[in-house]
Amino acid sequence: MTVPFTIQQNSPQHWAARTGAVAVLFAGIYYVYLTATTATLQSVTEATIIAIAAVALNLLLGFNGQISIGHSAFAGIASFVTGYTVSQWDWNPYQSLILSVVVCFGVGFLVGLPALRLKGPYLALVTLAVAFVWPTIAAQFLEKKIDDTKLAGLRLDPPGWTGLEGNRADRAIYMYWLGLLLLLVAYIVVRNLRKSRIGRSLVAVRDNETAAAVMGVNLRLTKTITFGISAAIAGMAGWLFAAISDTIIPRNFLILQAIIYLLALFLGGPATYTGPIVGAFTYFFVDRYIRQNVPDWTFLPAIVQGGAIAPLLLSIVVIAFVFVAPFGLVGFFKTQGRRFMNVAPQPLSDPATARLQQHTSAATAAESE
Amino acid sequence: MGEFLQYVINGLALGAIYSLVALGLVVIYRGTGHLNFAQGEMALFATFGAWWIYDRGVTMWFAVIIATVFAFIGGAVIEFGLMRPAGKKSPLAVVVVSIALFQGMNSLTNLVFKESSDGVTFQSLFPNEPLDFYRLSGETIWRFQDLGILVTVLILTGGLFLLFQKTKVGLAMRMVANNPDSAKLVGVSTNKTLMLSWGIAAALGAVAGAMIGGLNANLNIFTMFEIFLLSSAAATLGGLDSPLGALVGGLLLGVIKSLVSNYPKDWAGSGYVNATTAVAAAFVIILIVLVVRPSGLFGSSRVERV
Repeated sequence: MTVPFTIQQNSPQHWAARTGAVAVLFAGIYYVYLTATTATLQSVTEATIIAIAAVALNLLLGFNGQISIGHSAFAGIASFVTGYTVSQWDWNPYQSLILSVVVCFGVGFLVGLPALRLKGPYLALVTLAVAFVWPTIAAQFLEKKIDDTKLAGLRLDPPGWTGLEGNRADRAIYMYWLGLLLLLVAYIVVRNLRKSRIGRSLVAVRDNETAAAVMGVNLRLTKTITFGISAAIAGMAGWLFAAISDTIIPRNFLILQAIIYLLALFLGGPATYTGPIVGAFTYFFVDRYIRQNVPDWTFLPAIVQGGAIAPLLLSIVVIAFVFVAPFGLVGFFKTQGRRFMNVAPQPLSDPATARLQQHTSAATAAESE
Repeated sequence: MGEFLQYVINGLALGAIYSLVALGLVVIYRGTGHLNFAQGEMALFATFGAWWIYDRGVTMWFAVIIATVFAFIGGAVIEFGLMRPAGKKSPLAVVVVSIALFQGMNSLTNLVFKESSDGVTFQSLFPNEPLDFYRLSGETIWRFQDLGILVTVLILTGGLFLLFQKTKVGLAMRMVANNPDSAKLVGVSTNKTLMLSWGIAAALGAVAGAMIGGLNANLNIFTMFEIFLLSSAAATLGGLDSPLGALVGGLLLGVIKSLVSNYPKDWAGSGYVNATTAVAAAFVIILIVLVVRPSGLFGSSRVERV
């Protein structure tokens, strides 16, 4: 197949294309802010929560290869810590963001400890146990400490400098931007981490633990710290949930949430930077669309009428994706994009490797002649 | 003492059901190396099928047997139609498909059986009138239903053991579990064997679902979720590749759960222990076991050659 258009990586054209894409993205976000109703802005924020959690899961599962069905617990713990500190101890909400991220890092680190000895399904079970155990503990704690089954949510008011007021519409606008900012932070953390020395060791551990250990990667530290960071990012999602909610109950974050994060990640494409975000937004809005519209589709047979069709259709979509686009939506777009434009990797700058590369390319040229 | 024995007896019946679902998980894990997340929800669908057939006016035993046969076929079809093609894509694809199947089967049940969201009354397979029990001694009684569940599970486990150890099909299944490539080389059809494994697992799930329905006298859309959680815990506790482990793990977990939730009514005077926290306690125990023995009580640890 001929590639119609090839550009060098990091060449001016490549930078222009990338800047253009980012500009279009930001213009889209701004356009949504300008035109959307309050309800739409609120649902974007809800989708952002799933997106942040999926980004966190991507770091752990996509790049480090450790499965977790317990990320609902981390988000839940963060929302709980936030709700408790703000409503009971009158903390500043932004201080409790820091606290809940730190707490989640700690809990994630602890959960990561058994992960050192366990693999695959056994690890999945441990995280499942965490997801199952935490709501009951939280519920018991609430009952004992404050004799209530729920915590008050933050219903965060915009600070004065934004010029927004404390009504419902302005709150939605503020949370829209704040949610996207947190998502951006999560994205940048994961992206920079992946591109660093640590990120390379993450992938090495995923691909072959023994080989990684032989090359000098500290397995214990890498795995537990990754678990911690991933949990901390999921904690940001939990804080965002607490910030937009009226009430927080431990049952907000059941195992089903963790399964949604997993499905969103796989829908978007694991081990890509944008995959979890694309997947989460797609999942959320497809789910909403089906929920709202299918009951009105009277041409369908009576058996599929009702809300239960939404999760069924979504699971069918996810299964179809496994076969049609095994690397998720992002992987699918990448493969399709390569038909039109190819980004050639930059030649290596290290002299020894460059020589080797020259040598091999000369050899290939000789072969083809 | 009499009280203690009573809780153990109650726990054994519940544990036997965990064992049965756990056995299904083990059968699939041995063949494919994957945890089947949809095990519980596949059973849910089959059990609602049994309830539907029973509702048409046949005896419960007959309904459950029909549902089990259909579950067997359904399991084989899922392996053939979904899991095998997914397995050719990547190991991760299998995990995704089974998680999606978990969600899909649940909502399919909800769609096909509208009554499932409110729950239906489920007739027990065994005599279950108030006076249907043996009196062991004093206050300690063994209800026919509890006894029936335990005996059925033991018979099924025994049958599976014979199948694995004494028949040619069982030998093929063990070969595929042990080394699929070598099995293929000597002419064992891994495909047929895996289909059989999935069929058996789904059938075991259907029987387990009917029994938990009878035990709770109720069946609803959430019934199998907790059963699946605890059964996967039981299978992991026993070692995912060991059928004996699944049996022992399930019974152990049932007894632990029954004891923790009933026996010390007010643990340490805190009131922190109730039926929900009992499940949490069971998970904590499993966590400790797994940290000490990473491949479960009876599981064999896989040695990877570098």
